[in-house]
Amino acid sequence: MNWRRASLGVAAAFPVIALLAWGMTRDPKDIPSPLPGKSAPSFALSVFAPGQQPLARTVGDTVRLADLRGQVVVLNFWASWCLSCRDEHVTLSAVARQYAGKPIQFLGVLYNDEPVSGTAWIKEMGGQSYASLNDPGARTAIDYGLYGVPETFFLDAHGRVAYKQTGPASAQVLARVADSLLAAAEKDGAPTKRNQ
Amino acid sequence: MNGLIGHGALLISVAVIVLGIGAGVMAGRLRTQDWINAVYSAVYTNFVLVTIATGAMVVALVTHDFSVSYVAQVGSRATPLFYTIISLWSALEGSILFWGWVLSLYAVVVVWANRRRAGALVPWSATALLGVSLFFAILLIGPANPFHLVYPVPTDGPGPNPLLQNHILMAVHPPLLYLGYVGMTVPFAFAVGAMLSGEIGSNDWIKLTHRWTLLSWGFLSAAIIAGMWWSYEVLGWGGYWAWDPVENASFMPWLTATAFLHSAIMQERRGMLRLWNVNLVVGTFVLTILGTFLTRSGIISSVHAFTTGTIGYFFLAFIALVLVASLGLVAGNSDRLGSVGHLDSAASRETVFLLNNLFLTVFMFTVLVGTLFPLVAEAIRGVKVSVGEPFFNRMSLPVVIVLVFLMGVGPALPWGRASRDELRRKLVPPAAGAALLLAIALAAGMRNAYALAVVALAGYSIVANAREIVIGMQARHEARGEAWGVALLRLASGNRRRFGGYLAHIGVFAVAIGIAASSSMRSDREATLKPGESITVAGRTLRLKSVWGREETQRSVVGATLEFVENGRVAGIIEPRMNFYPASQQPVPTPAVRSSLLGDVYVNLQAFRPDGSNVTVKVIYEPLVPWIWAGGLIVVLGAITSILPQRVRVTREADARQPATGARGALAGLHANVEAT
Amino acid sequence: MTPKRKWAIAGTAAIIAVFGWMLYGGLDKNVVFFLTPKELLAKGTKGYDVPVRLGGQVRPGSVKWNDQTLELRFALTDGSSEVAVHSKGTPPQMFRDGMGVVLEGRYGRDSVFDATSLMVKHSNEYRAPKAGEKPQEMYRTLIKGSGS
Repeated sequence: MNWRRASLGVAAAFPVIALLAWGMTRDPKDIPSPLPGKSAPSFALSVFAPGQQPLARTVGDTVRLADLRGQVVVLNFWASWCLSCRDEHVTLSAVARQYAGKPIQFLGVLYNDEPVSGTAWIKEMGGQSYASLNDPGARTAIDYGLYGVPETFFLDAHGRVAYKQTGPASAQVLARVADSLLAAAEKDGAPTKRNQ
Repeated sequence: MNGLIGHGALLISVAVIVLGIGAGVMAGRLRTQDWINAVYSAVYTNFVLVTIATGAMVVALVTHDFSVSYVAQVGSRATPLFYTIISLWSALEGSILFWGWVLSLYAVVVVWANRRRAGALVPWSATALLGVSLFFAILLIGPANPFHLVYPVPTDGPGPNPLLQNHILMAVHPPLLYLGYVGMTVPFAFAVGAMLSGEIGSNDWIKLTHRWTLLSWGFLSAAIIAGMWWSYEVLGWGGYWAWDPVENASFMPWLTATAFLHSAIMQERRGMLRLWNVNLVVGTFVLTILGTFLTRSGIISSVHAFTTGTIGYFFLAFIALVLVASLGLVAGNSDRLGSVGHLDSAASRETVFLLNNLFLTVFMFTVLVGTLFPLVAEAIRGVKVSVGEPFFNRMSLPVVIVLVFLMGVGPALPWGRASRDELRRKLVPPAAGAALLLAIALAAGMRNAYALAVVALAGYSIVANAREIVIGMQARHEARGEAWGVALLRLASGNRRRFGGYLAHIGVFAVAIGIAASSSMRSDREATLKPGESITVAGRTLRLKSVWGREETQRSVVGATLEFVENGRVAGIIEPRMNFYPASQQPVPTPAVRSSLLGDVYVNLQAFRPDGSNVTVKVIYEPLVPWIWAGGLIVVLGAITSILPQRVRVTREADARQPATGARGALAGLHANVEAT
Repeated sequence: MTPKRKWAIAGTAAIIAVFGWMLYGGLDKNVVFFLTPKELLAKGTKGYDVPVRLGGQVRPGSVKWNDQTLELRFALTDGSSEVAVHSKGTPPQMFRDGMGVVLEGRYGRDSVFDATSLMVKHSNEYRAPKAGEKPQEMYRTLIKGSGS
């Protein structure tokens, strides 16, 4: 065994390994989002689906992002024509219910759809625990740079986009991100508001 | 229960492998029989354990045991038994399990067949095989565990991916691919064993490796052709090759293995290319692992990439380990691998073999660059790009043309040095074949220059290869008065490897002609038809008879019945359809093909009105497509011919070498020492 | 070093050089950029008539299929920008409002993206059956009606 040559051979392996390792940090299907870390675009949208107690809101009320400062906000864009939204519906509904009473708000935002079909869909799916907002002309969706539905944005207590989930969200991801944002809000003592 | 058995068996197998590797290192260093036996027992035990785990999975699938996570993921009560069994390899975890099983099977056969061989080569090789097995065993108890317990137990599952249960070839293609892919581990293990045992300087290991490479190469060739056939029959676009990363992943090791099959002969006969051969063997194995990594880790976007998990990191670590260890070993041994022989003359078979190796390697690098370029571009320039088919087609055409020509020149030239007269006698007459096929192609309307070049050179090379067979037959006929048929049989069995080589070449020419014709002379049309209306493509008229729908056990089907109309009479029907699987959002188009020797009529149902009042169909006429499948079959026959035991002389020789050989038949043949080429 | 060996090395080097050059030229011409509608529009006139892969989502309600001319038209959106797409011979049954797709083609000066191929993203995602989307219900007349 010629050790000098052997070490040269080993050295030759590293560029390849480095390239592949770097590649592992990328997701070829990932669409870069301009948002994470930035402050979330504001919105004022009216409630079209009330949700269920204890998370219910009154239909027709306007929800402003500015009013939710101090709470973690989970914004789920969905549509009645979207098939993957059906997959995550039960999960979202259940997780939102689990977190009732904590300083966290779950909100649905209807994307490119009629409130009537949205309401019918919720009924067909057996109800939704939290309220959904109508987004006429998809203005909010455009502000958030929505790529497709479903997409879920997690806003921290300071109103910044902390995390974005493309495609259906799983219970684990929801709980993990929500817990870490709640913990962060607790730690830096942001003025937290109780959920109503 | 199944989950427990399977997982338990895999856990024990990890322990056995670790002990076996430890024993292997001792066996390699001390070379005492006790340690060697310990390694071999580890190999056998591991096979039994992985077989138990695989069996448990098959039982779980067949009995719809949805408490096993993999069954919950791919099983469904509605799926027919046949597709339930083959769903063993329809998703990631199952395919890794199957991979592990095939690997343990190879290890057992290698060890069993060579268990009496003296020296440290086999113990070290067995240790290397165990090392690779360890990686897959760790995957199976960690990130790709198919035996997770699911609770609460679901009552039913979604069934396998619709694309994978839509055609019978899915039962054939993946096992062949694994046999080919995993089989490349064996030559690698021999190379590592030869380097660690110090036997790398002798030619012995190369002969052993050559036969095993042939076996894996045969499987891989068959798998690639079956994969092309599958995508042709299922995907509905009338093509068979798209340079998708998954396809490239199987093609690259095939190219290097093909190069090795030729350069190994150079080493056996002339003592040349010794370092190069080690590199090819190691490279082929690395390419199989790299290919698996690329397609399973989600690092590169591909139409059929599996969904990802942490498994990519394990593969990365494994590739890093394999690259570092093998490059280090090869480089460290390189001063023992100098060339013994040398080139006598440029006009010789050696030169052609060298060129063949050069072009095959260049071809492999082209495909590799095209496949990895998106990654490089993003790393260096931060842009997302993809490399399209035109790149691969443009780059590969000149190489293919040269290779087809070399495949004709090589067999015609003698080893050593060819005289001017010999050159003329051997290389000029095949030009008649080129002229003949060129004339036929032109008459049939082929105008693409590249396609014409491929066809003409294939004609040249077919004649050159067939002539070698005929010359051999003639010699037997004249010298011993054997009848022509007997002469052919005796010739074939007398030097199987050489004859198998000619056969494989002729198969490749058929594939090349099929691809050239079908890609350059394809004609297609699309139309929306009402019942009674017809469409004509390349002189073939199809009339829509009816649009129908029906429910089958595991799917719903919408189809159209079209009639071939010849001279006003109906000459057969063809039924393209769309299959709707309950768990899928999109239908799976299921084209219908009517094949004949000269070409295929391929009909795909593109769209239909829900009320059945009309359908849109795409009709493609592709000439000579069946030649590709037939050529693939001939290539495989060639490989089989080469591997089959060489009866008379070989057994005697093998017996002389290792008395009391127990393994007869194919196994003995696999390791028989074949001198002649 | 014998002259023969020199020739062999020179020849090999020449073949590799020619191939390297072809590789470079081939990649340069055949690399297809992956863009979103927003990025495509941001390219301005440079975005016209070059092969690109365009990824985005089919805007609901925008799909129009003409079964006589076999032309499919729809709008591809990334949420902020939108590109009109024209494609010939794409089967509409493979197509759902709002689904993610990757198109291959060129953006013409008429501001229409001419797609030569259309790939559905996440094609390997499949889930348990859902109400309302079953083929038996969608194509009721065909599947329940006849049954040849």
